Amino acid sequence: MRLMLRLLTLSRPAAGWLALGSLAALVALVANVALLAVSGWFVTAMGVAGTAGRSMNYFTPASLIRLFAILRTLGRYAERVITHEATFRLIASLRVWLFQRIEPLSPPALAAWRSGDLGARLRTDLDRLETVYLRLISPLAVALVGGAVLVAWLSRYSAPLAWLEAALLLLAGLLGPLAVARLSAPAARRQVTEEALLNAATVDLVQGMPDCLAFGAEAAQLAAFDAHSRALVRAQVQNGRAGALAQSLLMLCAALALWGAIVLAVPLLRTGAIDGADLVMLALACLGGFEAVASLPGALQGLGGVLESARRIFAIADAAASPAPGGTARSRSSAKEGMAPFKPRAFEGDARSQSPAAEGEAQSALRATRGPAACDIAASGLTYTYPGAPAPALRDFGLTLRQGQRIAITGPIGCGKSTLILLLTGLVAPDGGNVSLGGCPAGDLDGETRRGCFAVAPQEPGLFSGTIRYALRLADREADDAALWRALRTAQLDQEVAALPDGLDTWIGEAGLTLSGGQAKRLSVARALLRPAPVLILDEPTEGLDAAAAEALLQAVVANLAGRSLLLITHGKAGLALMDAVVAVPGAQASPPQTA
Amino acid sequence: MVAPVRNTPAADVAATPDKTFLRTRTKLARGGLTLAMLCSAAGAGLMVGQYFLIAQVLRDAVMHGAGLPQLMPRLWLLLPIIAARAVLLWAGEATSIGAGARVRLAVRGELARHLLALGPVALAGERTGALTVALIDSVEALDAYVARYLPARAASALVPLTVAVAVLAADKLSALILVLAAPLIPVFMVLIGRGAEKLNQAQWARLARLAAHFLEALQLLTTLKLFNASKREAETIARVSDEYRQATMAVLRVAFLSSLALEFFATVGVALVAIAVGFRLLWGEIGFGEGLFVLLLAPEFFQPLRGLGTQYHARMAAVTAAERIAALLARSSLPLVMAAEGPPSTHGGADTSRRRGWRPFGRHDDRGCDAAPVAAPSLAFDHVSLTYPDNRVALTDVTFHLPPGRVTALIGPSGAGKSSIAALLLRFVAPTAGTIRVDGEDLATIDPATWRRCVAWVPQRPHLFHGTIAANIRLGGPDADDAPVARAAALVGADAFIAKLPAGYGHIIGERGAGLSGGQARLVALARAALRDAPLLILDEPTASLDAETEHLVARAVRRLGEGRTVLIIAHRPEAVRHADATLRLQAGRVMQEATAPCA
Repeated sequence: MRLMLRLLTLSRPAAGWLALGSLAALVALVANVALLAVSGWFVTAMGVAGTAGRSMNYFTPASLIRLFAILRTLGRYAERVITHEATFRLIASLRVWLFQRIEPLSPPALAAWRSGDLGARLRTDLDRLETVYLRLISPLAVALVGGAVLVAWLSRYSAPLAWLEAALLLLAGLLGPLAVARLSAPAARRQVTEEALLNAATVDLVQGMPDCLAFGAEAAQLAAFDAHSRALVRAQVQNGRAGALAQSLLMLCAALALWGAIVLAVPLLRTGAIDGADLVMLALACLGGFEAVASLPGALQGLGGVLESARRIFAIADAAASPAPGGTARSRSSAKEGMAPFKPRAFEGDARSQSPAAEGEAQSALRATRGPAACDIAASGLTYTYPGAPAPALRDFGLTLRQGQRIAITGPIGCGKSTLILLLTGLVAPDGGNVSLGGCPAGDLDGETRRGCFAVAPQEPGLFSGTIRYALRLADREADDAALWRALRTAQLDQEVAALPDGLDTWIGEAGLTLSGGQAKRLSVARALLRPAPVLILDEPTEGLDAAAAEALLQAVVANLAGRSLLLITHGKAGLALMDAVVAVPGAQASPPQTA
Repeated sequence: MVAPVRNTPAADVAATPDKTFLRTRTKLARGGLTLAMLCSAAGAGLMVGQYFLIAQVLRDAVMHGAGLPQLMPRLWLLLPIIAARAVLLWAGEATSIGAGARVRLAVRGELARHLLALGPVALAGERTGALTVALIDSVEALDAYVARYLPARAASALVPLTVAVAVLAADKLSALILVLAAPLIPVFMVLIGRGAEKLNQAQWARLARLAAHFLEALQLLTTLKLFNASKREAETIARVSDEYRQATMAVLRVAFLSSLALEFFATVGVALVAIAVGFRLLWGEIGFGEGLFVLLLAPEFFQPLRGLGTQYHARMAAVTAAERIAALLARSSLPLVMAAEGPPSTHGGADTSRRRGWRPFGRHDDRGCDAAPVAAPSLAFDHVSLTYPDNRVALTDVTFHLPPGRVTALIGPSGAGKSSIAALLLRFVAPTAGTIRVDGEDLATIDPATWRRCVAWVPQRPHLFHGTIAANIRLGGPDADDAPVARAAALVGADAFIAKLPAGYGHIIGERGAGLSGGQARLVALARAALRDAPLLILDEPTASLDAETEHLVARAVRRLGEGRTVLIIAHRPEAVRHADATLRLQAGRVMQEATAPCA
């Protein structure tokens, strides 16, 4: 219940639209019930008048019928338009809210979302939450208010009749579906598990196809796949049939309400408390009232899933909001202080020369006050252990990089070379040790200023779906095509891009061109080159290239540094001759580093 | 850059495959759907009876002053009718759900088998994500068509017909009003709905893309932060969502007009019946019982039509999904493979028995490569060319020889056709021209499954299946128990890291080998090959992107595995294959140089 309240609080930005949408739905509902009831009254009254040979005022009911018919039609239309409007507004605010909550998280905490399973689940969770108003909250609110209005109106004629209708509405709309949902909860849970298992089996079947065929394991693989498919379908069928039970119960209750209304109202007719037209009107109103709860069995069947999704999303948001161990807390608190003592001098790289883009007010101010590019780096004693990891990823590491120097950091895979990037840029805070940038302790800087020093091509290229131009412009929003081509040329990718029919406008990623690992890597290098920052960090830039191509790439990068520092992280040997120094990081458990 | 592979000609020829696809696949559901239709028809009949009795009861109460004692017999009779209707409603739903389940199960199995028969080379242009979506989501989407749209369509014909007949018997004018109003509904739905529905679909597709972008932004948050773009992204999300809302609402306001029309005709139909009945009652032209009966039935006449309208969305989604599945099913395996023989797992014709009879490497029994020892084979590429269906030339007139029991290295830059040679040897594809000979016998005449039992393959990026490490090694020998698995791991030096894992050989490998490094995954694949104990060993870039220590480990494993086998090592760096007996250099699809001395 608290969960539902929180959901409602979240929807405050769209509250007006939400209320209006429900109001329109209510008008449509009331008009429908009234249409049925008035029609019944009208037909009966006309029949009685006809038999008795009396005349009657038929203008009022006839025009009421017309009015309700129009109200119902327009109300339905207005409801659909308004609730969709509200839902879209809700989607926008929900996403911004969640993004802002998650944004301060440190990379190790974010790693969870990189996994496809969690990512896919987050997608389902968001989908469910985004339509929760359209599918659940609004129908529930309308049913409650509409049902209450109907019952109140019925009680003016007969209290038992009102009670009967209320009880049956409650049974059909709320208790029945909830009971069914509870009954089928094990099947629903099994369905979720089986979905995940079938997903894993499908990934194995598709991605492992070469391995599976080469080792003649087709039959075993298909048998496993079929078994998971069958188990999922069985759970779905059980769930679906339970859901059908609730639908069937709804129909039963509606028919019983009509039956009960006749049984309760006929004696009233005999006592003269109501007349014949009233009897038919009450009976039809009782029947029509079930439109109020018609969508609830379907909506409530999904309630468990919605609550589960809400719980997961709130858990993510809450985890992000609580002060996380690691760099986030520190960089955020210093960000709040606002006035950072350190002012890194602005860097004017060649890629930058014709586009003086604003990187934020602080930085442009700095650019004006300080002269040429400089960001000397001094790090000592850096130690970091990932949350939950048994051993530190990096232990007692030191590094000095003066502006314009080129240093390679080498070492075996998994020795913490990439962790160094996170520590330098302040995305995680070290467990021990110090970093200073331009002579100031980096801990005193806010994250954005600090990261303004660095242009990074990370180990995972991290490219967005979109055009190549879009992917590159993440580094510099105002870069023109000439600058993009220059960066691509340095990254040894210009010829491959030029050969594409759409050139820079080629769509990459989802629903686009698939880049090879090496191509994605070089595109990420080109993106880093575009960023006007004094320190360039390349993490394994030559992966997927042969020795000659690797050497050519690094030569081009070094030739185009134009005063920047270069930190090359690599486990290979390419380009080491171009460096001023090579720092070896030993395996995590080995001795302190030596500078070559 | 890897361009998406075009469809094979077969897919282009098959016109509107989705129509036939849906028709043939729903045949499986015919029994269930017929039963559901019978339930729906019986329910409609009972409903007419129910309202007839209610109209009678109300008439007697209102017009003749009948009290409960006179009415009760008929009221009691109503209860079993109502109960039967509820049961029939459930039974119809339940059988529809069962029918949908049967179709999903069959189509998913069919698609999985077809994909396996196509093989990895024919599917090279498909992203694995798209295939996973086809196997799971697209198949699920068919359910809406089979279990909901088809029953709704049947009901929308059956129920109004039953109601119309009953109304006709009671009052001709009312029947006329209903019958005139009914066709207007589909007509208007088509007129307004068609175009708007398409736009509507496009908008929902855009919404899906927006959601994808949002998730991508979350997944790439570290990158965004490194570029100081994460705060900006929140504004972008807000702005793009807002723009999307405005564009979509403009479309939806029109799209909803179709349901407005539907609603309008249904409501006006009922209102007109009420008014027409009312006035003729006043004029004494029809009886009150008949009038009330018609009034009760009128909304029921339109109900299934409205139900059909709500299932229209589901139908659209299902048709899109069916198109995707049908397109995949229409793809034939590579014509080359077809010419040489049928796809491996689906065809088991008469002539394969001859191929099964193939005895590898001079064996005198029929146990093939399943039983050791098998002599190392000699392999020869004899003027082999390979052109993919998209006219990509992979190999041109390649001739070389892999001597038995020796290690041959194949080096060359990426894109030179090295992987095509592995694909040819694994029978994922057959040569366009030329022959591959195994101990003098044409490889094309050997059953692929029998042949693959003689090959152990270590791919560059081995796939680790969801399951334990032991199960993954056991791919090389499904019947092996723990001791041989451990021996195979020890042979390639994988036992050391496995022993360090908390669960050892029972360590569960999660999504995409999570928890194992690339080098460890390759060691597992090497152990797989060791367990396979096949006379031919193919290694694809065994030491690429490994650090020095792991590289050393892997190189030692390769040397141990190679003993007494014919070995082909594929690499792009010469230093990776120092220990080869011979080196072949491949350049742009041709063998440029056959060196007999190790290249160092």
